[in-house]
Amino acid sequence: MRVPVSWLSEYVDVPESLDDLADVLTLGGHEVEAVERPTGGTSGVRVAEVIDVARIAGSDKLHLVHVTDGEATHEIVCGASNYAPGDKVAAALPGATLRGQLEIGRRQLFGHTSNGMLASAKELGVGDDHAGIWVLDHDAPLGADVAEWLDLDDAVLVLEVTPDRGYALSLHGLARDLAALTGVDLRLPDAGALPTGGDVVPVTISDPDRCRRFDARVIRGVHVSPSPAWLQRRLVAAGMRPVSNVVDATNAALLETGNPVHAYDLALLAGPAIEVRTAMAGESLQTLDGVERALDSDDLLICDAGGPVALAGVMGGAATEIGHGTTDVLLEVANFTSRTVLRTARRHQLHTEGSKRWERQVPPEAAPVAATRCAGLIAELAGGVVTGGADHFPTPVERPVIRLRTDRARARLGLDLDATAQGALLESISCDVAPETADLLVVTPPAYRPDLVAEVDLQEEIVRLHGFDRVPARVPSTGQVGGRSPAHEARRAVRRVLAGGGWMEAMPYPFIAESDVDLLGLPSGDRRNRTIALVNPLSKQEAVLRTTLLPGLLRVVRRNVNRQLHDVAVFEVGHVFLPPTRDEPAADGGPDGTLLPAEPQRLGLVATGAFEAGRHDRPGRASDVYDLLGACELVREVLGLPAFEVAATDEAPLHPGRAARLRLDGVDIGVVGELHPRVAGAFEVPARTLVGELRLDPLIADGIRPRQAVVPSTLPPVGFDVAVVVDESVPAADVEAAVRAGAGRRLTSCTLFDEFRGDQLGEGRKSLAYRLRLSDPETQLRDTDEAVAIEAVARAVAERVGGRLRR
Amino acid sequence: MTTDHRATLSAARSEALGALRAAPDLDALDAARSAYMGKRSALTGVQRQLGGLDADARRALGREVNAVRAELSAAEATRRAELESRRDSVVLATDAIDVTLPPRVPARGRLHPIVETTEAMLDILVGLGYRVAEGPEVETDWFNFDALNTPPDHPARSLQDTIYVRHPGAGNRTDEDGSTGLPLRTSTSPMQIRAMLRQEPPLFVAVPGRVFRADTADATHLPMFHQIEGLAVAPGLSFADLKGSLFVAARALLGEDARLRLRPHFFPFTEPSCELDAWYGGRWMELLGAGMVHPNVLVAGGYDPDEVSGFAWGMGTDRMAMVRHGVTDLRLFVENDVRFLASV
Repeated sequence: MRVPVSWLSEYVDVPESLDDLADVLTLGGHEVEAVERPTGGTSGVRVAEVIDVARIAGSDKLHLVHVTDGEATHEIVCGASNYAPGDKVAAALPGATLRGQLEIGRRQLFGHTSNGMLASAKELGVGDDHAGIWVLDHDAPLGADVAEWLDLDDAVLVLEVTPDRGYALSLHGLARDLAALTGVDLRLPDAGALPTGGDVVPVTISDPDRCRRFDARVIRGVHVSPSPAWLQRRLVAAGMRPVSNVVDATNAALLETGNPVHAYDLALLAGPAIEVRTAMAGESLQTLDGVERALDSDDLLICDAGGPVALAGVMGGAATEIGHGTTDVLLEVANFTSRTVLRTARRHQLHTEGSKRWERQVPPEAAPVAATRCAGLIAELAGGVVTGGADHFPTPVERPVIRLRTDRARARLGLDLDATAQGALLESISCDVAPETADLLVVTPPAYRPDLVAEVDLQEEIVRLHGFDRVPARVPSTGQVGGRSPAHEARRAVRRVLAGGGWMEAMPYPFIAESDVDLLGLPSGDRRNRTIALVNPLSKQEAVLRTTLLPGLLRVVRRNVNRQLHDVAVFEVGHVFLPPTRDEPAADGGPDGTLLPAEPQRLGLVATGAFEAGRHDRPGRASDVYDLLGACELVREVLGLPAFEVAATDEAPLHPGRAARLRLDGVDIGVVGELHPRVAGAFEVPARTLVGELRLDPLIADGIRPRQAVVPSTLPPVGFDVAVVVDESVPAADVEAAVRAGAGRRLTSCTLFDEFRGDQLGEGRKSLAYRLRLSDPETQLRDTDEAVAIEAVARAVAERVGGRLRR
Repeated sequence: MTTDHRATLSAARSEALGALRAAPDLDALDAARSAYMGKRSALTGVQRQLGGLDADARRALGREVNAVRAELSAAEATRRAELESRRDSVVLATDAIDVTLPPRVPARGRLHPIVETTEAMLDILVGLGYRVAEGPEVETDWFNFDALNTPPDHPARSLQDTIYVRHPGAGNRTDEDGSTGLPLRTSTSPMQIRAMLRQEPPLFVAVPGRVFRADTADATHLPMFHQIEGLAVAPGLSFADLKGSLFVAARALLGEDARLRLRPHFFPFTEPSCELDAWYGGRWMELLGAGMVHPNVLVAGGYDPDEVSGFAWGMGTDRMAMVRHGVTDLRLFVENDVRFLASV
């Protein structure tokens, strides 16, 4: 809502300082987003009268104009020709400034000196008409300073009006609140006498549930012409386009009262007779914006004897529009319910100044005020006479009676206000307040506040009018220790340990393209193929909910690589969306038992390029599968989990020889590995891009498990190496398990330090060398203990993995 | 006899002192030490002959020998210290490194700035005694709208504002307006209802989460953004408790001298409703929306509005992350350029 301060001041004394005014409104719930002076900064422009106009020889456009400001005659060269001797114009004389930007001087044109210029409406900021100069009202005071005469320095407040406060979309409503908030008097016009027949157009309301009131007034003998300058200036400041005196009067009445008004050319109305009804099959209407609209049977219409003439509450029809030839006018000042207008406006995607107000409720009591004001303004501006009218108000709307428990209000607001004080605050916005008992007030809200229907609405008004700044600040005890859930703490630890380990946390959208899962080449039964589509996706690339984190992370890699950032190691902790299963159930679907998707959490890892950057003293190191496995180890370690069981896997979308599946206590956790070369190609990421995706929920479900301490032995340990020769096909994990088993309970560490292949081992054999350390807290170990252990390891590798020790 | 010894001793002393003091390097010093103080030195020779003297002479000469030996040892130590120091200064100089070469920093990643900001804000609420809870991102329209007192025709329910998804199973419901009744949650507020249904009052929870709107991405809007919801419900909670709680939390975030104000606003699920502004960078900046939980919302959560009252708020995490890190375009948060991620 754009509020010209001069206009608001007609109804209430506003605080002198604009900052104070803005603060009062903002803290009263009408946030002032900006204070503008759209026509400010103009000086030296005077009302002048054209004396004569002559074509300048040699120019096809320019005219030599003489004007007088009552004191002197000025010779001005002008490009426009939409004026004649005797017209009043705005002359910007040398030294003038237009809107703080354009400085006016003398100019030589075609051998003539132009002593300034004649201004257009656009140059003065009062309109967008730049075709000609602005011809002022005939009664404009000759010689007057235009900025003063038209109040061009008038400030405009730009208000954000909340959806509940429809009254704030009117100057009257804002004036009422301002009066209540600052304690000054109001100067609002009343409805005057209701129309009592005479020259009437019959009105039938066929749908009284949606059209609650219809005040129709007939005005005859109007002369349609542009509005006077002051009105045009105000309408533009309020964000509306001046059209003609009749139409501008309807808009002024709307801005003042908040009740939309529509004017029809009475001569063009068939009948003339009006019916308010919903649309019939096949009906259509060309609206004022020139669009031919097919009507829906739910659309409420204003019809004449021939059919639809307006989309009720939204927009009038083109056929009955006020034009230059209009002499007789039918004014429609009706009342529509918000739902009907809301649905029609949305259906036709037609949001107008009118529909915006209906959507926030307009009380039926506003109609006669708006009608009287509009009719009066038309008579004043266009010279018509109100010859008759009728106010159709079949069922007056009952105002709610609300019982306010003042003790409850006191407790819920935390305000020490007694019943009298609460009542006084409500009376300041024109509520009728009657005490019933010491603590109970019976309150009838005023008609202009249809938003006040329940006790909480009154509580809100009490604290708003009292002032939020006067509410004491207390901090309640929660009576509990705050905290995160164990799973949340665990997830946080996972993020931190990965970030500490060189992985960047990424956060892509959870939407992927349906084709993304196809590119992964998953087997047909895989759950991840069962994506859930968005009804209204933002793009085709983001049309379904992700069932896996990988496509999003691969896109992150691709974007970075495209930007020449070749070294990427990113992780994401996030939800995927899958049809629920017993292991991964959905959240509660609410009272109607709606089935929601499951939203299990995953940890995704993707890397390409160097994992360790090169330096002057050390070359970089490309990331490989062991970096992924290392990240998994960090996670396992920080959560205090037992070791993962790692086994090779050949499943999609991974490289069949470079991928591992992880299990924890036999429960499947996920896979890590190199992306299959074909999949890497399909996602346009570098060859050998690494990916991993783990099920996070089973890892974090119990939170961070406290680790059990190992008591180190103070006796010296025994250390020795063993080299195990095994078949190439035996996984290193099995060899290590055998070595560990053989070394027995005294083993404190077992580290692979060499992997070797060579002729002396024989074809298809490899040697894995381990450094072992034994210690015992109670016994001093001797060489014999080492010898015994070596023999035990030799037996274990022979039995378990068919290996032998190199001696 | 002792006179000869004395002469020998005196000569050996002066010769030895000269050699030790003049030793050009540590090797020469070692040689001098061995020559003048070792087994075959004149000094040791004199010492050896002490046994042949009578007791008095032996004692006297012995003292002299010891004095000379001590003097020579001192001279040797002095010279050794000089030579070692000279050697060290040469050797350590060749060890010198350029300490201005780049440090060797272990590769370190980063938490996403939104995650980091979320956790920082949660720390404050946890400090106030709130427990952190989380809810699903795909919601039902009952939790997301109905239970939060949103009217049936409210524009927020439309496909223009809210992203809907198809049903995961069979039996797809699709309304006249295209809605399926399964919105991607438009705020973290539906978790208010879930928390109330899950637990009896008193209830103090903080709900971080990702929320969605059908917005095209630009510098100040993303279809996906983040909120932290707070909900407090207990007997006797008032608007004054809301004000105090929000003010202490905001001051913990922005500093104890932060200028704050509450401004009336509207939300369907709270009444009275307000927004909290902080004076920041020369203007009032909106931090969050809040209010007293609407009685209809308490009822939807299974609570009795005559028994308990409460307050709730929802705060935009992304906006706060922008302020914390000096980010002016929200899209940077979802682009995941590693240079951006590494910079914050």
